[in-house]
Amino acid sequence: MALAALLLAMPAQAAVTEGEGEDFNPKEIIFHHLGDAYGWEVPFSHSQRIPLPVIVRDCQGSWHIFSSNRLNDGASYDGFYIAHGGEYSGKVVGEQDGVQYRPLDLSITKDVAALWIAALVVLLIGFSVTRWYKKHNMKAPRRWTASFEFLVEFMYMSVIRPTLGSKAKTYAPYLLTAFFFIFVMNLLGLVVIFPGGANLTGNVAVTLVLALCTFFITNLRGNKHYWKEIFWPDVPVWLKCPLPIMQAIEVFGVFTKPAALCVRLFANMMGGHMIVIVLTLLIFIFAKFGPAVTGGITVFSVLFSLFMLLLDTLVSFIQAFVFTMLSTLFISMAVCDPHEGHDEAEA
Amino acid sequence: MELFTPELGLVFWMFVTFALLFLILAKFAWPVIIKMLEERADMIDKGVVYAQNAKEQLDNAKSEAASYIAEARKQQAEILREADKMKTQIIEEAKAAATVEAKKVMDAANLAIEQARKASEKQLRQEVSAFALGIAEKVVRENLASESAQTKLVDKLLNEVENKN
Repeated sequence: MALAALLLAMPAQAAVTEGEGEDFNPKEIIFHHLGDAYGWEVPFSHSQRIPLPVIVRDCQGSWHIFSSNRLNDGASYDGFYIAHGGEYSGKVVGEQDGVQYRPLDLSITKDVAALWIAALVVLLIGFSVTRWYKKHNMKAPRRWTASFEFLVEFMYMSVIRPTLGSKAKTYAPYLLTAFFFIFVMNLLGLVVIFPGGANLTGNVAVTLVLALCTFFITNLRGNKHYWKEIFWPDVPVWLKCPLPIMQAIEVFGVFTKPAALCVRLFANMMGGHMIVIVLTLLIFIFAKFGPAVTGGITVFSVLFSLFMLLLDTLVSFIQAFVFTMLSTLFISMAVCDPHEGHDEAEA
Repeated sequence: MELFTPELGLVFWMFVTFALLFLILAKFAWPVIIKMLEERADMIDKGVVYAQNAKEQLDNAKSEAASYIAEARKQQAEILREADKMKTQIIEEAKAAATVEAKKVMDAANLAIEQARKASEKQLRQEVSAFALGIAEKVVRENLASESAQTKLVDKLLNEVENKN
Protein backbone atom coordinates (compact mmCIF):
# COMPACT_ATOMS: atom_id res chain seq x y z
CA MET A 1 0.00 0.00 0.00
CA ALA A 2 2.83 2.34 0.88
CA LEU A 3 4.38 1.68 -2.48
CA ALA A 4 1.13 2.44 -4.25
CA ALA A 5 0.73 5.65 -2.29
CA LEU A 6 4.22 6.72 -3.22
CA LEU A 7 3.64 5.82 -6.80
CA LEU A 8 0.51 7.91 -6.88
CA ALA A 9 2.22 10.82 -5.20
CA MET A 10 4.52 11.72 -8.02
CA PRO A 11 2.41 11.62 -11.15
CA ALA A 12 -0.37 13.19 -9.12
CA GLN A 13 1.90 16.03 -8.15
CA ALA A 14 3.06 16.39 -11.70
CA ALA A 15 -0.46 16.37 -12.98
CA VAL A 16 -1.61 18.91 -10.44
CA THR A 17 1.07 21.40 -11.30
CA GLU A 18 0.68 20.85 -14.99
CA GLY A 19 -3.07 20.81 -14.68
CA GLU A 20 -2.96 24.39 -13.40
CA GLY A 21 -2.17 25.50 -16.90
CA GLU A 22 -4.82 25.06 -19.55
CA ASP A 23 -3.11 22.32 -21.52
CA PHE A 24 -3.28 19.10 -19.49
CA ASN A 25 -1.45 16.75 -21.80
CA PRO A 26 -1.51 13.09 -20.64
CA LYS A 27 0.70 11.92 -23.47
CA GLU A 28 3.48 14.33 -22.53
CA ILE A 29 3.29 13.31 -18.87
CA ILE A 30 3.41 9.64 -19.73
CA PHE A 31 6.44 9.97 -21.96
CA HIS A 32 8.11 12.31 -19.53
CA HIS A 33 7.87 9.63 -16.84
CA LEU A 34 8.90 6.79 -19.10
CA GLY A 35 11.79 8.68 -20.63
CA ASP A 36 15.16 9.86 -19.47
CA ALA A 37 15.96 13.19 -17.82
CA TYR A 38 19.05 15.24 -16.98
CA GLY A 39 18.08 15.70 -13.34
CA TRP A 40 16.32 13.40 -10.94
CA GLU A 41 12.92 14.45 -9.67
CA VAL A 42 12.30 14.48 -5.93
CA PRO A 43 8.85 13.71 -4.50
CA PHE A 44 6.33 16.52 -3.91
CA SER A 45 8.28 19.06 -5.90
CA HIS A 46 8.12 19.62 -9.59
CA SER A 47 10.82 22.23 -9.85
CA GLN A 48 13.56 20.87 -7.63
CA ARG A 49 15.75 18.10 -8.96
CA ILE A 50 18.79 16.18 -7.84
CA PRO A 51 21.50 17.63 -10.11
CA LEU A 52 23.45 15.22 -12.28
CA PRO A 53 26.50 15.96 -14.45
CA VAL A 54 25.95 16.80 -18.10
CA ILE A 55 28.85 15.65 -20.28
CA VAL A 56 28.76 16.78 -23.89
CA ARG A 57 31.25 17.20 -26.70
CA ASP A 58 30.56 20.11 -29.00
CA CYS A 59 31.09 20.10 -32.74
CA GLN A 60 34.61 21.48 -32.31
CA GLY A 61 35.55 18.38 -30.35
CA SER A 62 35.99 19.91 -26.91
CA TRP A 63 34.26 18.45 -23.85
CA HIS A 64 31.92 20.35 -21.55
CA ILE A 65 31.00 19.08 -18.12
CA PHE A 66 28.49 20.96 -15.95
CA SER A 67 25.65 20.38 -13.53
CA SER A 68 22.21 19.73 -14.95
CA ASN A 69 20.87 22.42 -12.58
CA ARG A 70 22.33 25.05 -14.92
CA LEU A 71 19.90 23.98 -17.63
CA ASN A 72 16.78 24.20 -15.42
CA ASP A 73 13.81 26.14 -16.75
CA GLY A 74 15.23 26.44 -20.25
CA ALA A 75 18.42 28.18 -19.12
CA SER A 76 21.42 28.00 -21.37
CA TYR A 77 24.98 27.24 -20.29
CA ASP A 78 28.12 27.21 -22.43
CA GLY A 79 25.81 27.50 -25.42
CA PHE A 80 23.93 24.35 -24.52
CA TYR A 81 20.26 24.17 -23.55
CA ILE A 82 17.46 21.61 -23.43
CA ALA A 83 15.38 21.66 -26.56
CA HIS A 84 11.59 21.97 -26.33
CA GLY A 85 9.84 20.41 -29.24
CA GLY A 86 11.47 19.61 -32.52
CA GLU A 87 13.62 16.63 -33.37
CA TYR A 88 15.69 16.75 -30.18
CA SER A 89 12.90 17.53 -27.73
CA GLY A 90 14.04 17.09 -24.13
CA LYS A 91 17.69 16.66 -25.07
CA VAL A 92 20.67 18.89 -24.61
CA VAL A 93 21.41 20.71 -27.86
CA GLY A 94 23.97 23.25 -28.96
CA GLU A 95 23.82 25.89 -31.66
CA GLN A 96 26.30 26.31 -34.49
CA ASP A 97 25.80 29.18 -36.88
CA GLY A 98 22.19 29.49 -35.80
CA VAL A 99 21.48 25.80 -36.55
CA GLN A 100 20.47 23.52 -33.70
CA TYR A 101 22.63 20.39 -33.47
CA ARG A 102 22.93 17.49 -31.07
CA PRO A 103 26.35 17.20 -29.41
CA LEU A 104 27.86 13.87 -28.50
CA ASP A 105 26.04 13.37 -25.22
CA LEU A 106 27.57 11.11 -22.56
CA SER A 107 25.75 12.80 -19.67
CA ILE A 108 25.17 10.98 -16.46
CA THR A 109 21.43 11.19 -16.86
CA LYS A 110 18.79 9.90 -14.48
CA ASP A 111 18.85 6.54 -16.26
CA VAL A 112 22.64 6.26 -16.08
CA ALA A 113 22.61 7.10 -12.38
CA ALA A 114 19.86 4.54 -11.85
CA LEU A 115 21.95 2.00 -13.77
CA TRP A 116 24.79 2.57 -11.35
CA ILE A 117 22.51 2.24 -8.35
CA ALA A 118 21.16 -1.01 -9.77
CA ALA A 119 24.71 -2.23 -10.43
CA LEU A 120 25.64 -1.35 -6.86
CA VAL A 121 22.67 -3.30 -5.54
CA VAL A 122 23.69 -6.29 -7.65
CA LEU A 123 27.23 -6.04 -6.29
CA LEU A 124 25.87 -5.92 -2.75
CA ILE A 125 23.76 -8.99 -3.47
CA GLY A 126 26.67 -10.92 -4.95
CA PHE A 127 29.15 -10.00 -2.25
CA SER A 128 26.71 -10.45 0.63
CA VAL A 129 26.61 -14.12 -0.33
CA THR A 130 30.39 -14.51 -0.73
CA ARG A 131 30.98 -12.63 2.51
CA TRP A 132 28.69 -15.08 4.28
CA TYR A 133 30.82 -17.94 2.95
CA LYS A 134 33.96 -16.27 4.25
CA LYS A 135 32.45 -15.88 7.70
CA HIS A 136 30.47 -19.08 8.03
CA ASN A 137 32.20 -21.45 5.64
CA MET A 138 29.85 -24.30 4.63
CA LYS A 139 26.85 -23.18 6.66
CA ALA A 140 23.77 -22.37 4.62
CA PRO A 141 22.96 -18.64 4.62
CA ARG A 142 20.03 -17.19 6.53
CA ARG A 143 17.47 -14.45 5.83
CA TRP A 144 18.25 -12.13 2.91
CA THR A 145 21.49 -13.79 1.99
CA ALA A 146 19.63 -17.06 1.77
CA SER A 147 17.12 -15.63 -0.68
CA PHE A 148 19.92 -14.27 -2.87
CA GLU A 149 21.69 -17.58 -2.75
CA PHE A 150 18.41 -19.29 -3.55
CA LEU A 151 18.01 -17.12 -6.66
CA VAL A 152 21.53 -18.00 -7.80
CA GLU A 153 20.89 -21.65 -7.12
CA PHE A 154 17.52 -21.53 -8.85
CA MET A 155 18.96 -19.97 -11.99
CA TYR A 156 22.11 -22.05 -12.04
CA MET A 157 20.76 -25.46 -11.06
CA SER A 158 17.44 -25.40 -12.87
CA VAL A 159 18.13 -23.25 -15.93
CA ILE A 160 21.81 -22.79 -16.75
CA ARG A 161 23.30 -26.17 -15.88
CA PRO A 162 20.59 -28.41 -17.37
CA THR A 163 20.72 -26.44 -20.63
CA LEU A 164 24.43 -25.80 -21.03
CA GLY A 165 25.77 -28.97 -19.45
CA SER A 166 29.55 -29.01 -19.26
CA LYS A 167 29.73 -25.45 -20.62
CA ALA A 168 27.64 -24.10 -17.76
CA LYS A 169 30.56 -22.78 -15.73
CA THR A 170 31.88 -20.73 -18.66
CA TYR A 171 28.66 -18.87 -19.36
CA ALA A 172 27.04 -18.83 -15.92
CA PRO A 173 28.76 -15.56 -14.85
CA TYR A 174 27.35 -13.68 -17.83
CA LEU A 175 23.87 -15.18 -17.47
CA LEU A 176 23.71 -14.65 -13.71
CA THR A 177 24.93 -11.06 -14.05
CA ALA A 178 22.30 -10.41 -16.70
CA PHE A 179 19.57 -12.02 -14.57
CA PHE A 180 20.33 -10.11 -11.40
CA PHE A 181 20.94 -6.84 -13.20
CA ILE A 182 17.63 -7.06 -15.08
CA PHE A 183 15.77 -8.20 -11.98
CA VAL A 184 17.13 -5.38 -9.83
CA MET A 185 16.53 -2.79 -12.56
CA ASN A 186 12.96 -4.02 -12.96
CA LEU A 187 12.26 -3.82 -9.24
CA LEU A 188 13.97 -0.45 -8.80
CA GLY A 189 11.87 0.82 -11.69
CA LEU A 190 8.76 0.07 -9.65
CA VAL A 191 9.91 2.19 -6.72
CA VAL A 192 8.78 5.68 -7.54
CA ILE A 193 11.05 7.87 -5.43
CA PHE A 194 14.73 8.65 -5.62
CA PRO A 195 16.76 5.45 -5.70
CA GLY A 196 14.26 4.01 -8.13
CA GLY A 197 11.74 5.39 -10.51
CA ALA A 198 13.86 5.29 -13.62
CA ASN A 199 12.25 3.26 -16.35
CA LEU A 200 15.44 1.35 -17.17
CA THR A 201 14.42 -1.98 -18.63
CA GLY A 202 11.58 -0.13 -20.32
CA ASN A 203 14.21 1.83 -22.21
CA VAL A 204 15.24 0.31 -25.49
CA ALA A 205 18.90 1.38 -25.10
CA VAL A 206 19.31 -0.79 -22.01
CA THR A 207 17.65 -3.88 -23.40
CA LEU A 208 19.48 -3.39 -26.69
CA VAL A 209 22.87 -3.62 -24.95
CA LEU A 210 21.78 -6.74 -23.09
CA ALA A 211 20.46 -8.38 -26.24
CA LEU A 212 23.63 -7.42 -28.16
CA CYS A 213 25.74 -9.13 -25.50
CA THR A 214 23.81 -12.34 -25.98
CA PHE A 215 24.03 -11.85 -29.76
CA PHE A 216 27.81 -11.45 -29.71
CA ILE A 217 28.40 -14.32 -27.32
CA THR A 218 26.20 -16.59 -29.42
CA ASN A 219 27.84 -15.71 -32.72
CA LEU A 220 31.43 -15.30 -31.62
CA ARG A 221 31.49 -18.54 -29.61
CA GLY A 222 29.33 -20.56 -32.03
CA ASN A 223 30.81 -23.94 -32.94
CA LYS A 224 30.67 -25.74 -36.29
CA HIS A 225 27.32 -27.34 -35.52
CA TYR A 226 25.82 -23.91 -35.05
CA TRP A 227 27.12 -22.60 -38.39
CA LYS A 228 26.21 -25.82 -40.15
CA GLU A 229 22.65 -25.49 -38.88
CA ILE A 230 22.53 -22.05 -40.43
CA PHE A 231 24.22 -22.65 -43.77
CA TRP A 232 23.50 -26.32 -44.39
CA PRO A 233 20.60 -27.44 -42.14
CA ASP A 234 19.21 -30.98 -42.13
CA VAL A 235 16.32 -30.43 -44.52
CA PRO A 236 15.53 -31.77 -48.02
CA VAL A 237 18.08 -30.51 -50.52
CA TRP A 238 15.58 -28.61 -52.66
CA LEU A 239 14.91 -26.35 -49.72
CA LYS A 240 18.51 -25.18 -49.59
CA CYS A 241 20.32 -25.85 -52.84
CA PRO A 242 19.25 -23.87 -55.87
CA LEU A 243 17.49 -21.21 -53.82
CA PRO A 244 18.92 -20.65 -50.32
CA ILE A 245 15.48 -20.55 -48.68
CA MET A 246 16.49 -22.18 -45.42
CA GLN A 247 19.72 -20.23 -45.25
CA ALA A 248 17.80 -16.99 -45.63
CA ILE A 249 15.41 -17.99 -42.84
CA GLU A 250 18.23 -19.10 -40.55
CA VAL A 251 20.34 -15.98 -41.09
CA PHE A 252 17.24 -13.91 -40.49
CA GLY A 253 16.71 -15.94 -37.31
CA VAL A 254 20.21 -15.09 -36.08
CA PHE A 255 19.13 -11.46 -35.89
CA THR A 256 15.51 -11.91 -34.84
CA LYS A 257 16.46 -13.90 -31.73
CA PRO A 258 18.31 -11.06 -29.97
CA ALA A 259 15.84 -8.55 -31.40
CA ALA A 260 13.02 -10.53 -29.77
CA LEU A 261 14.98 -10.59 -26.50
CA CYS A 262 15.44 -6.84 -26.66
CA VAL A 263 11.85 -5.98 -27.58
CA ARG A 264 10.21 -8.48 -25.22
CA LEU A 265 11.90 -7.10 -22.12
CA PHE A 266 11.52 -3.49 -23.23
CA ALA A 267 7.84 -3.78 -24.21
CA ASN A 268 6.82 -5.73 -21.12
CA MET A 269 8.42 -3.36 -18.65
CA MET A 270 7.45 -0.19 -20.49
CA GLY A 271 3.90 -1.49 -20.87
CA GLY A 272 3.64 -2.16 -17.14
CA HIS A 273 4.86 1.31 -16.26
CA MET A 274 2.63 2.92 -18.83
CA ILE A 275 -0.50 1.19 -17.58
CA VAL A 276 0.13 2.30 -14.00
CA ILE A 277 0.71 5.90 -15.09
CA VAL A 278 -2.34 5.90 -17.35
CA LEU A 279 -4.51 4.51 -14.56
CA THR A 280 -3.30 7.30 -12.29
CA LEU A 281 -3.85 9.93 -14.97
CA LEU A 282 -7.43 8.74 -15.42
CA ILE A 283 -8.24 10.56 -12.18
CA PHE A 284 -7.15 13.88 -13.66
CA ILE A 285 -8.67 13.22 -17.07
CA PHE A 286 -12.03 12.61 -15.41
CA ALA A 287 -11.61 15.51 -12.98
CA LYS A 288 -13.71 17.84 -15.12
CA PHE A 289 -16.77 15.55 -14.87
CA GLY A 290 -17.51 16.47 -11.28
CA PRO A 291 -16.72 15.10 -7.83
CA ALA A 292 -18.83 11.91 -8.04
CA VAL A 293 -17.19 10.65 -11.20
CA THR A 294 -13.74 11.69 -9.98
CA GLY A 295 -14.28 9.87 -6.67
CA GLY A 296 -15.39 6.69 -8.39
CA ILE A 297 -12.53 6.82 -10.85
CA THR A 298 -10.07 7.45 -8.02
CA VAL A 299 -11.12 4.32 -6.17
CA PHE A 300 -11.07 2.36 -9.40
CA SER A 301 -7.67 3.57 -10.53
CA VAL A 302 -6.01 3.21 -7.12
CA LEU A 303 -7.20 -0.37 -6.87
CA PHE A 304 -6.13 -1.13 -10.40
CA SER A 305 -2.78 0.61 -9.98
CA LEU A 306 -2.13 -1.48 -6.91
CA PHE A 307 -3.10 -4.61 -8.78
CA MET A 308 -0.89 -3.64 -11.73
CA LEU A 309 2.03 -2.88 -9.45
CA LEU A 310 1.76 -6.28 -7.81
CA LEU A 311 1.50 -7.82 -11.25
CA ASP A 312 4.55 -5.83 -12.36
CA THR A 313 6.49 -7.19 -9.41
CA LEU A 314 5.75 -10.65 -10.71
CA VAL A 315 6.50 -9.55 -14.27
CA SER A 316 9.84 -8.12 -13.07
CA PHE A 317 10.92 -11.56 -12.04
CA ILE A 318 9.35 -13.36 -15.00
CA GLN A 319 10.96 -11.06 -17.56
CA ALA A 320 14.39 -11.32 -15.94
CA PHE A 321 13.93 -15.08 -15.85
CA VAL A 322 12.73 -15.28 -19.45
CA PHE A 323 15.58 -13.14 -20.73
CA THR A 324 18.13 -15.30 -18.94
CA MET A 325 16.44 -18.55 -19.94
CA LEU A 326 16.28 -17.60 -23.62
CA SER A 327 19.86 -16.31 -23.57
CA THR A 328 20.90 -19.64 -22.06
CA LEU A 329 19.00 -21.46 -24.76
CA PHE A 330 20.50 -19.40 -27.60
CA ILE A 331 24.01 -19.80 -26.20
CA SER A 332 23.50 -23.53 -25.70
CA MET A 333 22.34 -23.89 -29.30
CA ALA A 334 25.53 -22.18 -30.41
CA VAL A 335 28.17 -23.70 -28.14
CA CYS A 336 26.91 -27.14 -27.09
CA ASP A 337 27.53 -30.31 -28.98
CA PRO A 338 23.96 -31.37 -29.93
CA HIS A 339 24.38 -34.87 -28.49
CA GLU A 340 26.02 -33.80 -25.29
CA GLY A 341 23.41 -31.13 -24.82
CA HIS A 342 20.61 -33.68 -25.11
CA ASP A 343 22.24 -36.06 -22.69
CA GLU A 344 22.65 -33.29 -20.16
CA ALA A 345 19.05 -32.21 -20.60
CA GLU A 346 17.82 -35.72 -19.92
CA ALA A 347 20.16 -36.28 -17.03
CA MET B 1 9.52 8.67 -30.65
CA GLU B 2 12.27 9.08 -28.17
CA LEU B 3 11.35 5.87 -26.39
CA PHE B 4 11.99 3.64 -29.39
CA THR B 5 15.31 5.12 -30.56
CA PRO B 6 18.18 4.09 -28.34
CA GLU B 7 20.09 7.06 -26.95
CA LEU B 8 23.80 6.73 -27.68
CA GLY B 9 24.90 8.05 -24.28
CA LEU B 10 22.73 5.57 -22.45
CA VAL B 11 23.90 2.71 -24.67
CA PHE B 12 27.51 3.67 -23.93
CA TRP B 13 27.02 3.90 -20.17
CA MET B 14 24.88 0.78 -20.08
CA PHE B 15 27.61 -1.12 -21.87
CA VAL B 16 30.33 0.21 -19.57
CA THR B 17 28.29 -0.47 -16.43
CA PHE B 18 27.25 -3.93 -17.51
CA ALA B 19 30.78 -4.86 -18.60
CA LEU B 20 32.27 -3.69 -15.29
CA LEU B 21 29.57 -5.39 -13.28
CA PHE B 22 30.13 -8.58 -15.25
CA LEU B 23 33.91 -8.47 -14.81
CA ILE B 24 33.75 -7.87 -11.07
CA LEU B 25 31.08 -10.47 -10.37
CA ALA B 26 32.53 -13.03 -12.80
CA LYS B 27 35.87 -12.76 -11.04
CA PHE B 28 34.89 -12.50 -7.39
CA ALA B 29 31.31 -13.61 -6.85
CA TRP B 30 29.64 -16.10 -9.19
CA PRO B 31 32.37 -18.77 -9.33
CA VAL B 32 32.66 -18.66 -5.54
CA ILE B 33 28.91 -19.00 -5.06
CA ILE B 34 28.54 -21.77 -7.65
CA LYS B 35 31.49 -23.67 -6.21
CA MET B 36 30.05 -23.38 -2.72
CA LEU B 37 26.59 -24.46 -3.91
CA GLU B 38 28.04 -27.52 -5.56
CA GLU B 39 30.25 -28.35 -2.62
CA ARG B 40 27.35 -28.07 -0.24
CA ALA B 41 25.15 -30.18 -2.50
CA ASP B 42 27.92 -32.81 -2.63
CA MET B 43 28.31 -32.68 1.12
CA ILE B 44 24.58 -33.15 1.64
CA ASP B 45 24.54 -36.05 -0.80
CA LYS B 46 27.46 -37.63 1.01
CA GLY B 47 25.72 -37.06 4.32
CA VAL B 48 22.60 -38.80 3.05
CA VAL B 49 24.60 -41.78 1.79
CA TYR B 50 26.51 -41.90 5.06
CA ALA B 51 23.30 -41.80 7.08
CA GLN B 52 21.80 -44.54 4.94
CA ASN B 53 24.87 -46.71 5.43
CA ALA B 54 24.88 -46.02 9.14
CA LYS B 55 21.23 -46.97 9.40
CA GLU B 56 21.87 -50.14 7.44
CA GLN B 57 24.78 -51.03 9.67
CA LEU B 58 22.75 -50.28 12.74
CA ASP B 59 19.95 -52.52 11.47
CA ASN B 60 22.49 -55.23 10.72
CA ALA B 61 24.02 -54.86 14.16
CA LYS B 62 20.60 -55.07 15.75
CA SER B 63 19.64 -58.23 13.92
CA GLU B 64 23.09 -59.64 14.66
CA ALA B 65 22.69 -58.87 18.33
CA ALA B 66 19.25 -60.46 18.29
CA SER B 67 20.64 -63.60 16.70
CA TYR B 68 23.47 -63.71 19.24
CA ILE B 69 20.98 -63.42 22.07
CA ALA B 70 18.82 -66.17 20.58
CA GLU B 71 21.84 -68.42 20.24
CA ALA B 72 22.92 -67.70 23.76
CA ARG B 73 19.45 -68.57 25.01
CA LYS B 74 19.58 -71.80 23.10
CA GLN B 75 22.97 -72.66 24.53
CA GLN B 76 21.81 -71.76 27.98
CA ALA B 77 18.79 -74.03 27.63
CA GLU B 78 20.98 -76.84 26.34
CA ILE B 79 23.42 -76.46 29.20
CA LEU B 80 20.59 -76.51 31.68
CA ARG B 81 19.12 -79.60 30.10
CA GLU B 82 22.48 -81.28 30.11
CA ALA B 83 23.02 -80.39 33.73
CA ASP B 84 19.62 -81.78 34.57
CA LYS B 85 20.42 -84.96 32.73
CA MET B 86 23.75 -85.24 34.48
CA LYS B 87 22.10 -84.71 37.84
CA THR B 88 19.62 -87.55 37.34
CA GLN B 89 22.37 -89.74 36.03
CA ILE B 90 24.52 -89.05 39.08
CA ILE B 91 21.61 -89.73 41.38
CA GLU B 92 20.84 -92.91 39.51
CA GLU B 93 24.45 -94.00 39.67
CA ALA B 94 24.63 -93.20 43.34
CA LYS B 95 21.47 -95.15 43.94
CA ALA B 96 22.83 -98.12 42.05
CA ALA B 97 26.10 -97.97 43.91
CA ALA B 98 24.26 -97.73 47.21
CA THR B 99 22.12 -100.73 46.32
CA VAL B 100 25.14 -102.77 45.38
CA GLU B 101 26.87 -101.80 48.60
CA ALA B 102 23.80 -102.55 50.67
CA LYS B 103 23.44 -105.90 49.00
CA LYS B 104 27.04 -106.70 49.75
CA VAL B 105 26.54 -105.78 53.37
CA MET B 106 23.32 -107.82 53.51
CA ASP B 107 24.96 -110.80 51.87
CA ALA B 108 27.81 -110.68 54.30
CA ALA B 109 25.37 -110.40 57.16
CA ASN B 110 23.28 -113.24 55.77
CA LEU B 111 26.35 -115.38 55.43
CA ALA B 112 27.42 -114.66 58.95
CA ILE B 113 23.92 -115.36 60.22
CA GLU B 114 23.80 -118.56 58.23
CA GLN B 115 27.16 -119.68 59.58
CA ALA B 116 26.17 -118.78 63.07
CA ARG B 117 22.87 -120.58 62.59
CA LYS B 118 24.65 -123.65 61.21
CA ALA B 119 27.17 -123.61 63.99
CA SER B 120 24.50 -123.26 66.61
CA GLU B 121 22.39 -125.92 64.91
CA LYS B 122 25.32 -128.24 64.89
CA GLN B 123 26.04 -127.58 68.52
CA LEU B 124 22.33 -127.89 69.37
CA ARG B 125 22.13 -131.16 67.54
CA GLN B 126 25.18 -132.50 69.33
CA GLU B 127 23.78 -131.37 72.60
CA VAL B 128 20.27 -132.65 71.78
CA SER B 129 21.63 -135.98 70.57
CA ALA B 130 23.78 -136.26 73.67
CA PHE B 131 20.71 -135.50 75.82
CA ALA B 132 18.59 -137.88 73.77
CA LEU B 133 21.13 -140.61 74.07
CA GLY B 134 21.40 -140.05 77.79
CA ILE B 135 17.58 -140.04 78.12
CA ALA B 136 17.24 -142.99 75.81
CA GLU B 137 19.86 -144.94 77.78
CA LYS B 138 18.02 -144.20 80.99
CA VAL B 139 14.62 -145.07 79.41
CA VAL B 140 16.01 -148.21 77.81
CA ARG B 141 17.70 -149.21 81.06
CA GLU B 142 14.42 -148.98 82.98
CA ASN B 143 12.06 -150.43 80.30
CA LEU B 144 14.25 -153.33 79.27
CA ALA B 145 14.73 -154.68 82.73
CA SER B 146 12.27 -157.56 81.98
CA GLU B 147 12.65 -160.22 79.29
CA SER B 148 9.18 -159.73 77.94
CA ALA B 149 9.64 -156.09 77.57
CA GLN B 150 12.83 -156.70 75.62
CA THR B 151 11.12 -159.17 73.32
CA LYS B 152 8.14 -156.89 72.83
CA LEU B 153 10.41 -154.09 71.83
CA VAL B 154 12.32 -156.22 69.48
CA ASP B 155 9.07 -157.29 67.87
CA LYS B 156 7.80 -153.83 67.63
CA LEU B 157 11.02 -152.62 66.02
CA LEU B 158 10.99 -155.51 63.64
CA ASN B 159 7.41 -154.64 62.72
CA GLU B 160 8.37 -151.11 62.08
CA VAL B 161 11.22 -152.22 59.89
CA GLU B 162 8.86 -154.50 58.05
CA ASN B 163 6.27 -151.82 57.59
CA LYS B 164 8.90 -149.44 56.41
CA ASN B 165 10.05 -151.82 53.77
